[in-house]
Amino acid sequence: MRKAENRIVVLAGRNLKEILRDPLSFLFMTAMPLLMEILFYLLFHKLTSQFEMRALAPGIAVFAQAFLALFAGLLIALDRSSSFLTRLYVSGARSREFIAGYILALLPCSAAQSVLFFLVGGILEPAFFSRSMLWGVLLCLVTGLFYIGLGVLLGVICNERSVGGVASVVIAGQSLLSGMWFPAEGLGGGMLAVMQALPFRNATVLVQNAVNGAADPAADLIKPLAIVLAYTAAVCIAAVFLFKRKMERA
Amino acid sequence: MEIIKTEKLRKEYKDTVAVAGLDLTVKEGELFALLGLNGAGKTTTVKMLTCLAKPTGGDAFVCGYSVLRDADKIKPLIDISMQETAVARKLTVEENIAFYAKLNGQSKEEIKNTKEKLYAALELDKVKNKRASTLSGGWQRKLSIALALVSSPKVLFLDEPTLGLDVIARRELWNVIRALHGSTTIVLTTHYMEEAEALADSIGIMKDGRLLFLGGKDALFAQTGADNVEDAFVKFVGGGVSDA
Repeated sequence: MRKAENRIVVLAGRNLKEILRDPLSFLFMTAMPLLMEILFYLLFHKLTSQFEMRALAPGIAVFAQAFLALFAGLLIALDRSSSFLTRLYVSGARSREFIAGYILALLPCSAAQSVLFFLVGGILEPAFFSRSMLWGVLLCLVTGLFYIGLGVLLGVICNERSVGGVASVVIAGQSLLSGMWFPAEGLGGGMLAVMQALPFRNATVLVQNAVNGAADPAADLIKPLAIVLAYTAAVCIAAVFLFKRKMERA
Repeated sequence: MEIIKTEKLRKEYKDTVAVAGLDLTVKEGELFALLGLNGAGKTTTVKMLTCLAKPTGGDAFVCGYSVLRDADKIKPLIDISMQETAVARKLTVEENIAFYAKLNGQSKEEIKNTKEKLYAALELDKVKNKRASTLSGGWQRKLSIALALVSSPKVLFLDEPTLGLDVIARRELWNVIRALHGSTTIVLTTHYMEEAEALADSIGIMKDGRLLFLGGKDALFAQTGADNVEDAFVKFVGGGVSDA
């Protein structure tokens, strides 16, 4: 294995351990969304289509990814504040390797989240089980990459005191702008246009359409995928660039 | 043989001159203590020598390589222990050492040897299964220094290594530093004058980004008329002695 790849894998291993050993990360990334999935399904699935499992499970899978952003941001901000990263800069690792290390650590968490929420969805509503769940898991990796990249960016920009608050705003914004808790089509044209231009609703719709089948692949899959990928590239490039600047000013 | 040499090394931030044309040399195997008040430019100097900050003027050579042009060649030869403890909080002591060793490209066999060497040198085997976040300040600092030794650096930078430690923990760390002396060139910045007196072969005194004195303790005492480093330091930074 080349030096750079080795460093990314080693950094990712350490980052994963740091996150998994924080009981709060388990609570927010897994337990709380799982409880929401079960309760909302049991209480509301006969009342509104928003909470039928075909919409709820993919929606929860993407919703829970916002907590990946929170914990990625917290980890990086804490690493920066403790001089831990400064020590690692001297090891010769480059900014893109650091960013890749954080992303690689959290992607398996994203995959585990989506598998868990889909499986529980299938247990609660057996008709939900289908082969297209695999597409859902695959595309959750793409949407997860966006949220992890966003969290990395927050961790680079914010300090350890402010990152939690800023990430909470992202989580609240995601809840509002993803349209998973209410029928977005009922909103005014302006609001819907904003939601469609941002990545949050596109990420949710992308996974929902992948799991449920797309009548029009270009509009239902490719368009939201392209928007999510564009934002993912933007946040990851910004994170690498800003991280490099922080390294130079360490 | 000179292992560190700076030539008119300078660092400016917007309207502040942190280091103003520093010329110093450190010999191989030496323990060099860089002293100064807060804001004297010690940490900035260390950051430039460890390629963490780029000089805005002059150059510095570490192991013969320029910090301006050869950072990739310098980094494998040096390591640093920062003022603040720099460890992975939720990893155990053993995992911290293994993590840093892997990051330095060591094989499984080399990692095993590194662990054994560091356990023996710093008595870390007592706490090897404890998470870093649960260790006392003294043990965390020991671990932080241990991590800086993982790569067996030719030059080790210790930036205020005993800051905030109690007297016992400080003396224990002095013994660790003494044990490294000779096999590794050490650049130590400290506010504790007795630390420099106990450990250093040569001393540099900085004030306002400038080097006021560079030399051995005997030369320092002879120049100031003092009989200890603290009194000599006060005479220099207090303005009682003209610049070297």
